[in-house]
Amino acid sequence: MIARCCKAVLASAAVIALGYADTSAQIPYQRLLHADTDPSNWLTYSGGYQSQRFSALNQITRQNVGQLKTTWVYQLRQPGLFEASPIVADGIMYITEPPSTVTALDVRTGRPLWTWSPQIPRDVITISAPSPVNRGVAVLDDMVFVGTVVGHLTALDAKSGAVRWDVVVEDNKHAYFLTLAPLALDGKIIVGVSGAEAGIRGFIDAYDSKSGRRLWRTHTVPSPGEPGSDTWGKESWKTGGGSTWLTGSFDPDLNLLYWGTGNPGPDLNGDDRPGDNLYTCSLLALSPADGKVKWHFQFTPHDTHDWDANQIPVLFDATVDGRTRKLVGTANRNGFYYVLDRSTGEFVTGTAYAKQNWTEGLDAKGRPRVRPGTDPTVDGLLTYPGLSGAANWHSPTYSPQTKLFYQAVKEMGTYFFKGEAKYEVGRVFDGGGFRQVGGDSASGAIRALDATTGKPKWDFPLLSPPWTSLLSTAGGLVFGGTEEGNFLALDADTGKLLWDIQLGGAVRAGNPISFAVDGKQYVTTTAGTALFVFGLP
Amino acid sequence: MITTRWFCAGLLAAIVSSAGSPAIAATPAAEDGKKLFDGLCVACHGSEGAGGEAPSLNRFTLDRAPDDDALRSLIVSGIQNRMPAMRHLSNDQLRQLADYVRSLGRTPSAPPGGDPRHGSELYARLGCATCHIVAGQGGSLGPVLTEIGALRGAEYLREAIVDPGAALPRGTLSVPGRDLFQFLPVRVVTRDGREVRGIRINEDSLTIQLRDTSGQFYSFRKAELRQLEKDTGKSPMPSYKDRTTPGELADLVAYLWTLKGSR
Repeated sequence: MIARCCKAVLASAAVIALGYADTSAQIPYQRLLHADTDPSNWLTYSGGYQSQRFSALNQITRQNVGQLKTTWVYQLRQPGLFEASPIVADGIMYITEPPSTVTALDVRTGRPLWTWSPQIPRDVITISAPSPVNRGVAVLDDMVFVGTVVGHLTALDAKSGAVRWDVVVEDNKHAYFLTLAPLALDGKIIVGVSGAEAGIRGFIDAYDSKSGRRLWRTHTVPSPGEPGSDTWGKESWKTGGGSTWLTGSFDPDLNLLYWGTGNPGPDLNGDDRPGDNLYTCSLLALSPADGKVKWHFQFTPHDTHDWDANQIPVLFDATVDGRTRKLVGTANRNGFYYVLDRSTGEFVTGTAYAKQNWTEGLDAKGRPRVRPGTDPTVDGLLTYPGLSGAANWHSPTYSPQTKLFYQAVKEMGTYFFKGEAKYEVGRVFDGGGFRQVGGDSASGAIRALDATTGKPKWDFPLLSPPWTSLLSTAGGLVFGGTEEGNFLALDADTGKLLWDIQLGGAVRAGNPISFAVDGKQYVTTTAGTALFVFGLP
Repeated sequence: MITTRWFCAGLLAAIVSSAGSPAIAATPAAEDGKKLFDGLCVACHGSEGAGGEAPSLNRFTLDRAPDDDALRSLIVSGIQNRMPAMRHLSNDQLRQLADYVRSLGRTPSAPPGGDPRHGSELYARLGCATCHIVAGQGGSLGPVLTEIGALRGAEYLREAIVDPGAALPRGTLSVPGRDLFQFLPVRVVTRDGREVRGIRINEDSLTIQLRDTSGQFYSFRKAELRQLEKDTGKSPMPSYKDRTTPGELADLVAYLWTLKGSR
């Protein structure tokens, strides 16, 4: 049975029972706000503003998950990396396909309803992305919003895919591009940008959802005179990076938006940017009204290993020292799991969740006690975590049932090389190179951590360093995949393998979600160039 | 963030590497191209493109890059799961690197020392054909050698004979982005006590596929095994260091170097 429902669910279920999708697709802000009470749909990138990637559906359980069968498969229209996290709203699934195509699917059959593709010039700049990708859309009211690799934000009519408005976020000739799924708030669309490997100056933007008018922009690298500008040297702030390339979270009660920031530029050579390089490799808490930064927490000051902090910030409440606190947890690329007070940004705890050799640990305020001589060198220095980090952009999941934070962890080192860094518009500005210690020397795991303390609870070993997002469900399950194409379900309490299937392509990141239609729960993942939907017989 | 997960040593690494090659690096542009090659490409393609883990490039025709445009495009785009994309190169650097690679094919590469005819006799006498196929003849336990002389350099071939475990080929298992060893010796013991020794054909997080010396194929779920041992750093092929004299070893390498297939 389905754990919780509301009138909206019943209404949509009634419509779908008649055998057609509700293409009116009205998704007002109030539905996004209460997405956790509407588990038949999956309305935001991470399933809700708390970004827990948890489904309250409990029809698929530990006992019956072994019966899962493929319901339908959707193949990409053209080759590329399938990195989208689907949105499901009232019988329609909205996905993106590389490079920036949006497709609406009948959620019952997988048949396309409409598709929209922007014009992408051959010389589009997507430096650092393995190929032009997109990670999904946002929905609000009767529109679907997508950021494109050409640096645009586009609003589409949810019924037809027709363009309602289209704005330039920033010039792609200067290496700005968008791959993230936007976040829809009350009348606002929030986006960030990619491009730190080309020396962009990162920012977070808010746009009016009706008109596309930009409401505010908050740079992640301060200009001279602004707070934090003393953490940069000379003119380095101009090419300081701090991209904002993954979807953030939102606490409506605190009225705070949480957004991670990426590496400083140049990535691997910090000579010309002495100081902490605020606000790179940080978590920012912003006012959604005006974009003002309320607090920040920097995980990796003066980063020289490309350890972005764009990982999904997961919001949860827990008791710490006898007091209920509003917390945000994140498994950082630098190998540490952090818990912060999301009201104030105060450091609560931090613990290494993967092999790391660059610090002696964290101090009382959560600042890393960096071992001397761990910056990249001309001859190359082996460092753990590696360039891809112990975590990366793939989503973790938090289960309010188990109070565990589940993370796909990479156990892999990298030789970091220091090189020259010369800025040229639209070209790579990374200041070095790297060689991953891969092959049979690297591995990974799906790891369950006590969300409040970071203490490991169980491990499910993986052959290859993973890029899989994870989904937890009220059925007591955790779903995830492997680089080798396995998609699997684990017992959320113990990590025991309960079901698996080989899908023939890497689950990268799969972005599993769950939804219900016609009274049945389904689970999805991408693998290779296809989207798979599984259900009980 | 940098999401490319392949070797991509930076330009400085290219600059600090400076092995000379007077015959090729005759002009400043060519010297720059050689520096780039030595920094970015030599680890896999071998010195002067003689071949290493990756194919030799000192051939007039490159399979994946039949003309200059294709070569430059290949350098920029890489080959999925095999060769990193070199998108950080400027247009000048790209041209210099491509020109240098092309120059390798115009310069006849000297054959290694040794007597290939005697090497051929040794190949037969030592029983290499038991495990290797050349021109359609031989066993299939080990790598096919029909065109090994076009794909690998003499130095790599020598190492593969002397210390096979150190020179296991990598990177062609069907795991995206993974340079897992091929021909890795594996021993498994099933729950009912059955032991199987073989080479790894493929593997994922939950299963492993093997082939034994008789060619029998096996597939196991790891959860159903009592033991799974991977002999990393070893090869099913014995070392021939003590089975050949230095002269014979040179002859064997010289023979393998002549195996160009239809190239």
